[in-house]
Amino acid sequence: MTLEGTLLLALMLFCFGIYAVLARRNLIGILIGVELMLNAANINFLAFSHFIPTDPAVAKIIVLVVIGLAAAEAAIALAIILKLYRQRSSIDVDAMTLLEGTGAEEASDE
Amino acid sequence: MSSTTLALVLLGAPLVAFFIALVVFRKNHVAAMATVLLGGATTCACALTLLATKAGAPAEQASRAWLHAGGVDIHFGILLDGKTLIMGAAVGVITLCVQVYSLSYMSHDQGRGRFFAFLALFEWAMLSFVYSPSLMQTFVFWELVGLASFFLIGFWHKKPSAIAAAKKAFIITRIGDVGLFIGLILLFQTAHTLDIQTLNTLSFDASRIELITLLLFVGIVGKSAQFPLHTWLPDAMEGPTPVSALLHSATMVAAGVFLFARFHPLFMQAELTLTIVLCIATFTAVLSSTMAMVATDMKRVFAYSSISQLGFMLMGLGAGSLFAGYFHLTTHAIFKALLFLCAGAFIHEHGTNDTVAIGRNGGRNQRIITLGLIVGGGALAGFPLLAGFFSKELIIHALHDKPLFLAGAYLASFMTAYYTFRVIFLVVFPNKDSAVEVEEEPADSHDDHHGSAWPMHAPILLLTAAAIALGWFGDSIATTLGLENPPISIPEMAPAIGVALAGILIAWFDFGRKSAPQTGFVFKIKPLYTLFKNGWYLDAIYKKVFVGAAQAVAGLLFGTENHVLDKASDGIGQGTLQIGSATTMAQSGRLPVYIGVAVVCFAAVMIVLGLEIMR
Amino acid sequence: MSYDFAIAAVVTLAGALLAISQANILHAVFGLAISLVGVAGIFFTLNSPFVAIMEVLIYVGGIAVTMIFAVMLSSVTNPQEKENVGRRLMAAVAAGTFFVGGALVLHHAEFADGKELLNSEHSLQAVGVNLLNRYNLAFETLSVVLLLAIVGAIVIVRKEPAMPADAEEEAA
Repeated sequence: MTLEGTLLLALMLFCFGIYAVLARRNLIGILIGVELMLNAANINFLAFSHFIPTDPAVAKIIVLVVIGLAAAEAAIALAIILKLYRQRSSIDVDAMTLLEGTGAEEASDE
Repeated sequence: MSSTTLALVLLGAPLVAFFIALVVFRKNHVAAMATVLLGGATTCACALTLLATKAGAPAEQASRAWLHAGGVDIHFGILLDGKTLIMGAAVGVITLCVQVYSLSYMSHDQGRGRFFAFLALFEWAMLSFVYSPSLMQTFVFWELVGLASFFLIGFWHKKPSAIAAAKKAFIITRIGDVGLFIGLILLFQTAHTLDIQTLNTLSFDASRIELITLLLFVGIVGKSAQFPLHTWLPDAMEGPTPVSALLHSATMVAAGVFLFARFHPLFMQAELTLTIVLCIATFTAVLSSTMAMVATDMKRVFAYSSISQLGFMLMGLGAGSLFAGYFHLTTHAIFKALLFLCAGAFIHEHGTNDTVAIGRNGGRNQRIITLGLIVGGGALAGFPLLAGFFSKELIIHALHDKPLFLAGAYLASFMTAYYTFRVIFLVVFPNKDSAVEVEEEPADSHDDHHGSAWPMHAPILLLTAAAIALGWFGDSIATTLGLENPPISIPEMAPAIGVALAGILIAWFDFGRKSAPQTGFVFKIKPLYTLFKNGWYLDAIYKKVFVGAAQAVAGLLFGTENHVLDKASDGIGQGTLQIGSATTMAQSGRLPVYIGVAVVCFAAVMIVLGLEIMR
Repeated sequence: MSYDFAIAAVVTLAGALLAISQANILHAVFGLAISLVGVAGIFFTLNSPFVAIMEVLIYVGGIAVTMIFAVMLSSVTNPQEKENVGRRLMAAVAAGTFFVGGALVLHHAEFADGKELLNSEHSLQAVGVNLLNRYNLAFETLSVVLLLAIVGAIVIVRKEPAMPADAEEEAA
């Protein structure tokens, strides 16, 4: 068990998260990916504090804060998901393209 | 109370009065007028006390830094020396007189509260200018004087001619101010100080100081209405007459001459400038006198005479005699204020500006005012032993070794005597049978409610007394300025007296004696009459040349704007729209794509970073 | 290399793999839970038992369970992901690029001397004291954030007064 090993593990976890965010169409799947990435970051914090001499309490506090924020984030995200499902009967991200810009609309505004 | 405190009170009173009158008593005219009057009285009392206690004492200065900028401190403060004290007293007294006078003159005007507030502002600006110890303050209040006069000339803002006159005054003086500003900046750049007292002790490189003083003189030409920027002053009488009285005497036009006196040591170093000053001043004095000879409007006559008298002052100053010019500035302030107040009283009573009409309407029945007119006119004409006589003698004395300018001065003072007594005779000896036509009939519908008489009479009486007496105070004024009052022998005075009397005699022949034609000798020479009457066509020429040029430039700019800039900005707008609609194609609105792009970009950064570290 | 770390790492990665590969979203959430337990194990080996417990309590016990609720409330009708190989490939390429970049940086970065610090008794006490003293602000802010999250979640899912269908369409 080394610092590099731990960091590599975190990196892999992070990439799994990225993959989930990009590949999933289900919003909950994307949320899962986000949680994986958050945990990867947490592992990094604790790894650095464990292997590099510093105040050990700081990293732990950061991780606790991150966990708390993740909980809040999950609550809100799931609320949004439920709301979306109620409105559209679907939580497929591919169906949510309201941000799309179409040149035709712009032209018609003129 | 120390003199500095007194001076602060003196400066503060009008400012406070201005704000109170304008802001607090916006609806209450009586309270506003009372406030301003109180402020004016305070200022006048302070100014006179200062003059009485500090006369002859060494200059005193108190100032506070307002801004530190790059090693230069910009100060605002008070400079108390002879010039300041005399000018301050003149401004204080005349402003108070004008304010009292306005009580009656403006008693039925809807905006009299505002009028009084602006009078206070005008006084404050002028006094702060006069008391200024630094270039910066001088310039700031120089401009404020112009602004206040703009407000006052255009006071009757529903009258198109008043608006036009106000704009004209503001714009034409602005032309001069550009020169002044450049001059002040150059002066600062050369001397590295803003302090006027220090500046006046320095000596400069000849060509440099000539340039600087010439630029300063451009500002003076604009403010003191010298040729070629004099055309605003006759029009400025579109404002209420009390304003003219103030404008033509102690404030506004006096600012130009005062600036010259203030920087007299600098001007004395510049030979070339002095010659130019003499040329312009003499030419202006003669030119405007010719116009005054044919003007029928009483105020217009006095307006032209102001221009010519300012020319006289500058002649005195340009000839190197600070005392002559300054003394004439003081006496002129008194008798010109008197003359305008008298003119205002006539106009107020008879509802016309036309001198002939006033005379036929029984102007001489207003005894006190007629007395004021005679004394003030006599002083203006240089009638022996009246105020203007002494100062004019001094100026002519100063010019004694410059024959050309001396001749001009004689000519101008001859014409001055002629046109002044033309006005006096027309009022005092009206001849109903004379051939002269009245250009402006008295207005029948003139409202009859005049204010009570004493607020008009008291200032006129006071100023009349001053116009008689002031001439004898030459010595004490010289002492206050720290200068000599040169003795002038009777034979030296003789030519000037002769010229003035000749002018009066011819005026008597033309206007005064029984069965006089009352048209004047100029009237018989038609081309000359037309030329003078139309102010040498200078306004028309200016219009043609400057307005034409401005319109040409404006047309060019308009074309550029329409065909070049508009097209360009339209093009930029269109281009932006095109780019925008092109880039919207990339906006799929699909979240994973956005995130994916972000991830790849970030990964790319990391790869580059990793490779960098490896190297 | 100690075994506990290896086991924890394997559990983590295996759980994560499960979480991202399962077509059935419910299974994916289970995978996440497994992975999080593995992460807790890693925290334990990193000498942070308290954080590890919190991880299990909050993540596995709170977040994962909430997710399962959400899945059951929403995706029951369509739990299956449709096959989309191209998309997965793209995602894999992006993630892979990221991994390569990260690994490159990791490989070439120089860290301070990586000696394990095993003796951190009283660390829990230090956490508590610091959390309530020096990092008080973060602590309080977090509590406010959590409160807001609760209120916000309620506000979001609250049933709105019925809107006319076309107006809703316009608003959308």
